[in-house]
Amino acid sequence: MSEQMRESLSALMDDEANELEVQRVLSQIDSDEDLRCTWVRYNIARDALSAQHFSLPSADISAGVREAIAVESVPSSGGSLRERLLRPVASLAVAASVAATVVIGGQQIASISGAAPYDGQAVAASASPVGLVNSLGATTVRASYGTRPIPVLQPATRTAYRELARQRMEKYMQEHAEHAALNSPQGLIPFARVPEIRE
Amino acid sequence: MAEKFNPVKVGFAAAILALALPLAVAARAAGCGGADQAALAWLDRMSRSLHQVSYHGVVTLQRGEDMQVMQVSHAVDGENSFEQLTQLTGQGAQVERTDHPLHCVHPGHRLLQLGAELKAGNCGIAEHYRFRVDEGERIAGRKAVRIRIEPRDMYRFGYVMELDRETGLLLKTQTVGRGDKVLEKFQFASLSYEHQPPVAAEVDVVHRARHPNPSVPEHMPGSWSIDWVPTGFTYTDAPESGAGRRTYTDGLAVFSVFLEELGREIRPGEGVVRSGGTTSYTRGMELTGKPVLVTVIGEVPVNTARMVADSVGWER
Repeated sequence: MSEQMRESLSALMDDEANELEVQRVLSQIDSDEDLRCTWVRYNIARDALSAQHFSLPSADISAGVREAIAVESVPSSGGSLRERLLRPVASLAVAASVAATVVIGGQQIASISGAAPYDGQAVAASASPVGLVNSLGATTVRASYGTRPIPVLQPATRTAYRELARQRMEKYMQEHAEHAALNSPQGLIPFARVPEIRE
Repeated sequence: MAEKFNPVKVGFAAAILALALPLAVAARAAGCGGADQAALAWLDRMSRSLHQVSYHGVVTLQRGEDMQVMQVSHAVDGENSFEQLTQLTGQGAQVERTDHPLHCVHPGHRLLQLGAELKAGNCGIAEHYRFRVDEGERIAGRKAVRIRIEPRDMYRFGYVMELDRETGLLLKTQTVGRGDKVLEKFQFASLSYEHQPPVAAEVDVVHRARHPNPSVPEHMPGSWSIDWVPTGFTYTDAPESGAGRRTYTDGLAVFSVFLEELGREIRPGEGVVRSGGTTSYTRGMELTGKPVLVTVIGEVPVNTARMVADSVGWER
């Protein structure tokens, strides 16, 4: 795989790819075995999980976040053709995912991981609104990572998770800094990254 | 694509492998596959000088539009070191570490202090980064040597470090992300190697830095495990059993993984925020029926954090 392709792939995975880079990967993914394997190994399959009932987590998540997470559940896999057709477009807009960026189609990304159910957790059989094409189906996947489905998030959930990540950064940064300060070359500087230092 | 088993081919391949293997070993022992020995020697020196040299100065940390200014001091007294960081902007907090034995070397620094291991053919950090040594600029009045550090895979960031030509002290670091984008810049504005206590600043909070156990067990105790981290990363410490945290380092980058077990179901999903070179990635998911929140915080790309979070599971 060329350095440029590696860059593009990396960009896709970091959600930083531009149009050109998306095109680059798309044009190669069918014919480039190496790229495909790399992709499969790295990619986290996203799938719209079938409807689930959600309740509130008990952790100290702020009220706003809790509210957003608590909004009604993800639409089920059924629905009219119109709905099914529309969903991918909507998902593309909200999913911060490479899978979302790459191919829109009816194929099920679940088929990639279908060979090995992880932790007994059945991958939702509902059609994935987005995913890689069937060409990936034959490739073996390391069961250890990159295979758990992440649902395509609704905008409210997405915002809530972002807020959650911010809160966790505040909460854990100091503990992380305690270790970074002893195990990276900058001495105590990692503490300067802590939003608010506590005694 | 499905190739049939061909004994002739396999035999041929084995023969090639048998021929190539000793050559590869020899090449590694001789020069670690072209690793820049000068750069590795500088990194070794940098790691030691951080603990063994007395200095004080003013440091700036830039992350995007944000710039922090702080005073740092490091003093060696006999067998112990004393270090302090005082924020001159922002919160005005102070962090200090007292009586840190000089012989206490934590895993991250052990990875940089290759020394004899390098001669024994263990390339350590050179397996994960490429190095190049250049003439550096002048920083805080000191002539510097510049080391460009480029990751060999996509799991870590790159760095441009400038070291004091005389003492090896790290004077400036730029953390470089994709597309050569500088994510974070740390550098000395002034530096002195004389023994002299730094000028007192008004301080609101004093935090005494903790000292985690630097010896790492082969097997991490606890009910959960992380099944994948990029090659070259090792544990930084031995957390207490039952702890919801694990921290890893490759000598240059550090990341921590936190696991929270939730009492109730959570809608599965993920969220990311970034600040300078730091990524905070949170994933809500169900692990064999138990809802959990996994958070990866550290100086690694988002994708690394995501993959690590994805590999979290219960200890079987």
